[in-house]
Amino acid sequence: MTLPESTFENLRLELRRGCLTLAVLVQLRSEHYGYTLRKDLADRGLVIDESTLYPLLRRLETQGLLVSEWREEEKRNKRFYRLSSDGEQILGQLLQEWQAINTSISSML
Amino acid sequence: MELLDRYLQAVKKHLPWQRQDDIIAELRANLESQLDEKQAELGRPLTPAEAEAWIQQLGSPVRMASHYQPQQYLIGPAIYPAYLHVLRIASMWALAIYTLVATITIVLGPSISGAAVAQAAFRLPSIVIQVAAWVTLVFAALEFIATRYPGKCPPIAGFYANWSPSTLPPLEPVPAPGTKRPSYTQAVTEVIFGFVVLTWLVLVPRHPFLMFGPGIAFLHASPFRLNPILLTFYWWIVGLNALQLAWRCIDLLRGAWQHPGPLRHIVSKLFGAIPLVLLAYLPGSAYVLLRHPETDMSRYAQTADSTNRGIHAGLQVLCVIVILQLAWDVAQALVSVLRGSQQPR
Repeated sequence: MTLPESTFENLRLELRRGCLTLAVLVQLRSEHYGYTLRKDLADRGLVIDESTLYPLLRRLETQGLLVSEWREEEKRNKRFYRLSSDGEQILGQLLQEWQAINTSISSML
Repeated sequence: MELLDRYLQAVKKHLPWQRQDDIIAELRANLESQLDEKQAELGRPLTPAEAEAWIQQLGSPVRMASHYQPQQYLIGPAIYPAYLHVLRIASMWALAIYTLVATITIVLGPSISGAAVAQAAFRLPSIVIQVAAWVTLVFAALEFIATRYPGKCPPIAGFYANWSPSTLPPLEPVPAPGTKRPSYTQAVTEVIFGFVVLTWLVLVPRHPFLMFGPGIAFLHASPFRLNPILLTFYWWIVGLNALQLAWRCIDLLRGAWQHPGPLRHIVSKLFGAIPLVLLAYLPGSAYVLLRHPETDMSRYAQTADSTNRGIHAGLQVLCVIVILQLAWDVAQALVSVLRGSQQPR
């Protein structure tokens, strides 16, 4: 990888990092388990590695933004996640922040 | 699928032990759902090659497990500037104190040998590394406490948060047009050279050939010898060199090598002037003595006497020059201090 390519890749990862968290919180306004969440995000153009998404869900739950429960579905135990009340509040604030940034960037272009 | 079981087994080994089973159960459920969908699309089970390719793209077990580890810095960004600052100061003092102590130990030790000097020089990096290791350990402990018990450590995170513009240092003097500021390379080279010169000065009394070369043989054969009291002044010069070197190291580590203060220059000149003045007034001005006075008095007494008178005169002239230079440096420093205090704020 050349220097410009590696520079772009580093900056791209930084840009995606915050956006992925927002995307996950948005999607978890409705209940999902890990695999269906990943599939939904991929269908909407946001492809996330398993090794990134599943630990992210755990981290967001540790931070109190998500709640989870184990349930049996199709003869398999699965862990379902959804937003907690704190998560909903934070999501609202993040969406406002996102829209403000989006507006600023759009005005510069 | 056996390959998936082996993959999950390998991931489990690197997970935080308190949550291993829970994480593996969740990961298994997600990956098995993914596998079912793949096989449903194909209408058949995966071949061994396809299974291997699928597991491969999940990433290595260590990488997969590492994302489940709690995110923690050894020394976080909040206290890293403080860590760097303390590391520089601690290294600077360790270097300066060790240089001074090692020089004194070697000079006052039973023998001044190249081996003792080399041993002291080779011990220097380990001293600096030990100091750096202790500072790093302390700050890593502070980071650990600040992360686990944030309420107990607010001053650490706010180390640089509470500052006032009134504490900013005064403007540095602008160099006169045409003058060149010393570069970092020059400053480092001066320090390295200073160490070499100090080492040489410490070794010369024991190994005089280092100063006189093969000519030392003529000196040993000559009827004259240096007054032993001169050795005392020699060590004073060595101490002055060690002091100047330590000061230069401090300036380098403080980042003040481009603007060495006038104090260093003045203190060095003062320390250098003291032995000169004392030597110039040595009782009898006996700098050079006869090696065998009982046999050589009649032949070489006049030569020794005229040599001593010449050295005495030279020292007196040197004293006057050094004292005048010192007075001039002190006057210049006072004028610049007065000018600085009179400038409007």
